[in-house]
Amino acid sequence: MSKPSPRRLADYAPIAFPAGMLLAFFVVPFGIMIAISFYHRVQGGFYEPAFEFANYERFLTAFFGGVLGFSLGLSSLVAVVAVLLAFPFTWLLVRQRRQVQVIWLVFLLSVLSLSEVIIGFAWSTLFSKTAGITNLFVALGLMDQAVSLYPSFGAVLAGMVYQAFPYTVLVLYPALSRLDPTLVEAARTLGASPFRAFFNVIVPSLRNTILATIIMVFVFALGSYLLPQLLGRPQQWTLSVLITDQAIYQSNMPFASAMAVFLVLVSLGLVGLSLLFGQREKA
Amino acid sequence: MHKNSPAKPSRRAVLAGGAAALAASTIGFPSILRAADKTLKVGVYGGYFKESFDKHIFTEFTKASGIAIESVAEPTGEAWLVQLEQAARAKQAPADVSMISQTSMLKGQSVELWAPLDEAKIPGAKNVHSHLQNRYPDGRLCGVGAVSWYITLVSNTKVFPEAPTSWAELWDAKHKDQLGLLALVSNSFLLEVTATTFFGGTKMLDTEEGILKAMEKIAELKPNVKLWYRDEAQFEQALKSGEIPMGQYYHDVTGLAAADGHPVRSTFPKEGGINDSGSWAVSKASKAVDLAQVFIEYMCQPSIQALLSRKVGTSPTIDAKLTDLTPEEFAAVSSEIAPIVPRYDLYQEKADWLSQKWTELIVG
Amino acid sequence: MSGLVLDHLVKRYGAFTAVHDAALRIPHGQFVCLLGPSGCGKTTLLRMIAGLDAPSGGRILIDDADITETPAHQRDFGMVFQSLALFPHLTVGENIAYPLRIRGKSKEDQRAAAERLLSLVRLPGVADRPVSKLSGGQRQRIAIARALALSPRLFLLDEPLSALDAKLREAMQIELKQLQQQLGITTIVVTHDQREAMTMADLVVVMSEGRILQAAPPVEVYRRPANAFVADFIGMTNLLPGTAAGAGRIAVGGGTLDVSDANIPADLVLSIRPEDVKIHESGEGANRLPGTVTFIRDLGASVEVRAEVAGQEIVAVTAPKHRPAVAAGATVSVEFPAEACVVLAK
Repeated sequence: MSKPSPRRLADYAPIAFPAGMLLAFFVVPFGIMIAISFYHRVQGGFYEPAFEFANYERFLTAFFGGVLGFSLGLSSLVAVVAVLLAFPFTWLLVRQRRQVQVIWLVFLLSVLSLSEVIIGFAWSTLFSKTAGITNLFVALGLMDQAVSLYPSFGAVLAGMVYQAFPYTVLVLYPALSRLDPTLVEAARTLGASPFRAFFNVIVPSLRNTILATIIMVFVFALGSYLLPQLLGRPQQWTLSVLITDQAIYQSNMPFASAMAVFLVLVSLGLVGLSLLFGQREKA
Repeated sequence: MHKNSPAKPSRRAVLAGGAAALAASTIGFPSILRAADKTLKVGVYGGYFKESFDKHIFTEFTKASGIAIESVAEPTGEAWLVQLEQAARAKQAPADVSMISQTSMLKGQSVELWAPLDEAKIPGAKNVHSHLQNRYPDGRLCGVGAVSWYITLVSNTKVFPEAPTSWAELWDAKHKDQLGLLALVSNSFLLEVTATTFFGGTKMLDTEEGILKAMEKIAELKPNVKLWYRDEAQFEQALKSGEIPMGQYYHDVTGLAAADGHPVRSTFPKEGGINDSGSWAVSKASKAVDLAQVFIEYMCQPSIQALLSRKVGTSPTIDAKLTDLTPEEFAAVSSEIAPIVPRYDLYQEKADWLSQKWTELIVG
Repeated sequence: MSGLVLDHLVKRYGAFTAVHDAALRIPHGQFVCLLGPSGCGKTTLLRMIAGLDAPSGGRILIDDADITETPAHQRDFGMVFQSLALFPHLTVGENIAYPLRIRGKSKEDQRAAAERLLSLVRLPGVADRPVSKLSGGQRQRIAIARALALSPRLFLLDEPLSALDAKLREAMQIELKQLQQQLGITTIVVTHDQREAMTMADLVVVMSEGRILQAAPPVEVYRRPANAFVADFIGMTNLLPGTAAGAGRIAVGGGTLDVSDANIPADLVLSIRPEDVKIHESGEGANRLPGTVTFIRDLGASVEVRAEVAGQEIVAVTAPKHRPAVAAGATVSVEFPAEACVVLAK
């Protein structure tokens, strides 16, 4: 028996709560942010309602274009590296015993619960000259002298990948655990080594999952604003850092909002493009 | 702003230990005004400052004056200024007297937010350093220095056995990747430091050409900076461990860390430490200007200034010679060397231009 | 010996032993069915042959070469999985040509092989379709074609037909057997369906609880089951406990019967197929026991009579033309012909 389509207002009651929450905690704040992005900034004061494009004009310069480009590039790289690491990891994880899987998942969840601040401080210590991993390399005779590995692009990347890794695993986990394990076995009986079977059976058959995961991690990474500060040089500060500066330290809400709106639009555009691309490839 | 952030545990411990000594402190408050049924709402930065003032200052004030204090925690940044201004339009005052940053003082002055103060009722204000006597362009007093603190040249004693003597040290090529500096133009005051150290004073910052020239000079020290920090905690630990062995930091906090045995020191460079401060100002909507003036006069007393130095760690806003601070106590919070006073006017008039140029300078 | 030899294979999972000491010789060209209820270890045995599970003990030899340690991808066996395991991201043709692609064969060779194999499984012209667009039976054929693409030394199938409906399953059984005869390839099929095993196999290997109970041609397994479990699992049978009663005689159900078996254990079970039991309306005779009819049903092609003999139900099946003239409750004489009685150890 098929359900009748909703007719009366009351039929929509079950979705009222989630819809209300979405409205109250996402649509309304986002709408306010869009509105403020058109407000007039009062220098040395606050802002007043207006409709002007000055905030967007200020953003449309080579300087902010460069920062935006860097932020998008960094987030993409983080997403790709995180998936490259997390995919084989998750593949091995789903083949472990249930108990082993649970232990790993709990561990990953606890890493996910760490704030950006803690991750940033932990990695800056790990990369430091005084207490970092290079001291271990010196002790092992691999290096002559301890060095500081931050601030650097590599340090930012490492920190952000670390932050994104548990998230990536948790996104990939359901798809990989549902994947028929006999696919690899079939490939093996047909002459593919386990390594080869992984790359030409598992990876391609989860192409869409991988693309979706990359997009989700990309968006996740875009929001990172402390790790670039703690582990990178100013050249590696992302747009999120500058948005924070404007919002918190300069009290320039209109400009911060304009930057945030622009970032959201560009990310949405990129996500849409990659989905379109993925769709076409599939067809 | 560092004074707004939640208190440091180490500092709080010091305060707790000093509580007993405080009770014995003598308060020679001369005013005869007794107004037991009067209440004054005082805005203080939330967190460490409010706790310290509630504990050490306000109770003593009430004992001495009979005026009850209702302390209000101010939010950080400029939000408090905006609240005061909007409330004043509705003839309301969320607080009668507030501790206001110098930049906010200027912004408030531009809209005549602050009630003019009667200097006859606040004789103590004369003792306050002249740059901390906030005045309207026509000379009316509208704010009196409440607290001040120093940002100085700090270094790790293990890495640098010799204390640096000049801000110019920051530019020395041998310090590549060794510095921790504040990230924002409006909290690092590096423009003023540069102008004073290399260009004979902050006067050069009057023009945009002068500012750009100072920025060019600052660009030269970028390779030396390992960390541009926004939050103190980001730098303090690295300074203690020697990972980032030099930089700019708060004089009093560094002194406390050194007292705890960490290998750090704070040096007043010969060009002077950066002297940042907050002033007491009264909202024009306040109906208790008289009581507020009593409060401000009380806070200007040398004994109270000394108490603040001892218990809160701030530098006196009056000439230290008027206080009974010992040379050691004075050195813990200040220096005889003439300070570098931030050009707060710039951060009001050219806020967006400065932050834009600064970001391009640092990030570019 | 040429062919496949399983030399005392053992597979343990912790404390649980999935396969006990399996020994088997399979000459080339045989069609073998590993038959048994679920959990009997037949799939584990097949996976060890395929190289997907490592034996805990014993050896696997093919043409006298020990392949126990050879990894699956170097064994050159074709395998069809219960799930079929067709690659969802590849077309039908690409699925079939996958083993050729792995070995670096040219696109033309791959294409030609796919077409050849598709006509072999009687499904030409679907090479370019995605596998998701095919029916269950068609996918079955694609999986078979893919497993045969490299002319493997051994063709392994794990419950290949279990997902198909009954009618299609029967047709595929016959087709699979014909394909195997056409190619002459040694084939091992895992199944729990004894009818399927009887239809296809040259050699039926009956397994239970990790052990091989009997490995013999289907008729022999049916007629001469090795024990009561095999007798009961393969087709329908009547099992009666009894004891030895002298040479060629056994005591069951309160009487004695002559049997043609020479070896008679002291404690025994008599197995007799329903179609061998004869119901007589009355009378005495050799190898008869008295009974009472409890139930009769006419199944069209046959008539089934259930009778109680010494407290135990005996099922007899006869052709309708030999239907005894009895009704439920009637006292009858039940005959157990000596040549049909199989005496099994208890």
